[in-house]
Amino acid sequence: MRIVIAEDTVLLREGLAGLLEDAGHEVVARVGDAEALLAVVAEHEPDLAVVDVRMPPDYQDEGMRAAAEIRRAHPATAVLVLSQHIETRHALELVATGGGFGYLLKQRVLDVDDFLDAARRVCDGGSALDPEVVATLISPTPKRDALGELTPREREVLTVMAEGRTNAAIAKRLWLTERTVEAHVRSILGKLGLPISGDDHRRVLAVLTYLRASGA
Amino acid sequence: MALHADFGASTVAERAPLNENGSVRIAPRLVAWCLALAAVALITGGLLLDRIAAAEHVSGSGVVWLYPFLLAAVSAPALVGAVIAAQRPGGPIGWILVLGSLSLAAVLAATPYAWVALDAHPGALPGGSWAALVSSLWPTFFAWPVAVAFVFPDGRLPSRRWRPYAIFAAGAFAVLLVVLVMADQLEKPFSDVTNPFPLRVPDGLGFVRLPAWLSVFASLFVGAGAARVRYKRSAGIERLQMLWLAYAALLIPLGIAGFLLWGLVVGEPGGAVLGFLLAMESAVALAVGIAVTRYRLYEIDRLLNRTLVYAAVTASLGLLYAIVSLLAGVAAGQGSTWVTAVAVLVVAAAFAPLRLRVQAAVDWRFDRQRYDGLRRVSAFVDDVREGRREPEEVGDVIAAALRDPSAELLFRLPESELYSDGLAGIVVEPPADGRTVTRVEHRGREIALLRHDPALLDRPDLLRSVLAAASLAIEIARLRVEVRLQLAEVEASRARVVQAGYEERRRLERDLHDGAQQRLVSLGIVLRRLQRSLPREAQILGPPLDAAVDEVGRAIDDLRRIAAGVRPPRLDEGLAAALADLVRALPVPVELEATAERLPPQIEAAAYFVVCEAVTNAVKHASPSQITVDAAVANGALTLEIADDGIGGATVSAGTGLIGLTDRVEAQGGTFSLTSPAGGGTTIKVEIPCGS
Repeated sequence: MRIVIAEDTVLLREGLAGLLEDAGHEVVARVGDAEALLAVVAEHEPDLAVVDVRMPPDYQDEGMRAAAEIRRAHPATAVLVLSQHIETRHALELVATGGGFGYLLKQRVLDVDDFLDAARRVCDGGSALDPEVVATLISPTPKRDALGELTPREREVLTVMAEGRTNAAIAKRLWLTERTVEAHVRSILGKLGLPISGDDHRRVLAVLTYLRASGA
Repeated sequence: MALHADFGASTVAERAPLNENGSVRIAPRLVAWCLALAAVALITGGLLLDRIAAAEHVSGSGVVWLYPFLLAAVSAPALVGAVIAAQRPGGPIGWILVLGSLSLAAVLAATPYAWVALDAHPGALPGGSWAALVSSLWPTFFAWPVAVAFVFPDGRLPSRRWRPYAIFAAGAFAVLLVVLVMADQLEKPFSDVTNPFPLRVPDGLGFVRLPAWLSVFASLFVGAGAARVRYKRSAGIERLQMLWLAYAALLIPLGIAGFLLWGLVVGEPGGAVLGFLLAMESAVALAVGIAVTRYRLYEIDRLLNRTLVYAAVTASLGLLYAIVSLLAGVAAGQGSTWVTAVAVLVVAAAFAPLRLRVQAAVDWRFDRQRYDGLRRVSAFVDDVREGRREPEEVGDVIAAALRDPSAELLFRLPESELYSDGLAGIVVEPPADGRTVTRVEHRGREIALLRHDPALLDRPDLLRSVLAAASLAIEIARLRVEVRLQLAEVEASRARVVQAGYEERRRLERDLHDGAQQRLVSLGIVLRRLQRSLPREAQILGPPLDAAVDEVGRAIDDLRRIAAGVRPPRLDEGLAAALADLVRALPVPVELEATAERLPPQIEAAAYFVVCEAVTNAVKHASPSQITVDAAVANGALTLEIADDGIGGATVSAGTGLIGLTDRVEAQGGTFSLTSPAGGGTTIKVEIPCGS
């Protein structure tokens, strides 16, 4: 993969680049702010942009806004946003509008394989959503009665599914067979009233759209 | 004929200033002074002749104590008249005085001349009988005061309607003089001298004499009426001038009343009456002089007011003393010391209430504005004492009492050089805007400034007495304004402190997330890369590196928790998101209903921490099984309700963290209420205005 990195902390930027290069990816540009990021994306048309949320000059949500801009202007470039803390609204909007977008807490990088998997998934047009964000979505509230009807196991499956993972990955994570996972997924979608689809990614989008529409 | 002569002279004099020729401008001054000196010379000569007559023991002559009065009665109007005529030769008043004094001097000097020529040294002087004729024209005595009363102070009649009255007065004097000149018999003391005037009043017209006298006396009252009308209409300087004239004129009835009393108690006053009338003549002239040239010399309002009050009080007390003495004398027997003692006691006891009554009556009769103004202010002070009105309204009350809508009171703030208008606005230096500024003092300290119409400077007594009556209310209002300003300052500073707290939390949260956390993540990455680059023979280092990275991950989790406690980052997404995170972490089920509306950041922060402290408090102390949190926006206010079904009995003071909660709410101008019956759960209700 050809990757650009936008991160204002130099130490972290170099660390990230090292990790990705160690994994055999090509880091074509490293920048420290959103403006420079948009410029290098336009120049290199990379497969993936790894973007920090808070960057100069205001340290607000510059990275998130740049990510939205990249998704709009360069659909071929996937974006993986890294954040110091959980911020759901913008992240969900971007994930739900289509594939090629991921949102993770920075510390997830330390789980290197998972991180590289998420990067790969996003790059392939899938999505990645931090487990903590998913946790804020999958808590029953009066508005979301349907979630209460799920069995504990189904809720575990839904949680991992919402992170953007494939059936195979879910099965591996939860120590289940893929067939069992498929059965759970059908049941979940049925209870939530969502169309059953073979496409992993479409399925994730449907689930996220449901969760977003019903709360958070 | 003095009156006619006066008016004639004024017409001549009025033309003089129109001529630009300098020599002509000098003339009226010269003429005025010459006439005045002639009058003084005439009366001086008269007094010398009186000495000669006295040497021969002529009856009526040589009343030496009367000399100063005679001299004053002539020279006062003469000199005042000359000064006024010289200053404004176009106006008639100076000329009226000068010519009046001259005619008076002629009449007064004619008497001793006739004495010398007819009695002391018969034949030594010519025209003795003519002098006796002039001497009997004494009603000229009243001519100039009446003329002044008609035209004072501007030299014109009060209005066109007064023209017939003026003609009547002038006619009355003229007819009387003609009657006197053509009389069969001259006036005292020359009733035995043959009138040298060749003509006599025709026999059929003898009855005219009495109506002529009556008309002259009537014209005195008509003149007084003209002055009264003028006073009623006057304002500002003219009012002060009229007051000076009134003050002198007022002494005349007072004096006459005094002589009546004297006549009753001591006996016939005799020559004293003449002395008194002469003194009055000079007093009126001096009053005119002061009124025209130095009307602000003394506070004439006060002078007049006090004179009236003390004269009336003295007369009443004297009467009271007399009555009590009489009654007590009848009861206890004449000459008892008890009689005097009782009378004195009664008079002493009556003094204070009588003075107040008389003062009010005089104010009501002669100075309605002062009377009404003071009543208004004292009614206001009573209302303030009874709590019916606010002391801050004192400025409006003063403006109404002074009848000056532009009047504005500025309170001097204690311990500062600042002034406030009472509405919490602070004025450092009252701007100059054409209004006059008067300092208001209370016990020697400045408590306020009054900006008012400069015309009020002509009523210093009104201004001073109204301000003095209002000073207590002003002092109270001033202190209240000060307290209110200080309270506002304290509230603002508390809001600033709380706001600074929120900002500090945000900064701290940023530092934790962007500083320490980033370094830990970087450290973790370094360890991971190290681990992944280990050569096969060093794989033994893998597990401890895993453990190290796990430790770094836990440190990051701790840090995020701390940062979230300092300030939840999701507050940036709104109150609902932050509260959802908050309640998810609690060990007690929470039913949350939060508005999705966005509010100003400091209000969202305040609301978040209020809920945070309230639910933390509930979990810690109340052992609830269920908590409900409700945050809603209605009518421009954010209302929060945090209720639990725990043990209740919470108080704000018991060190439960609820005290910090009230501080947060009140710093945003909100209200806080706590309901916590023992065993009945706890409900906290908060309302924070949010202007949306």
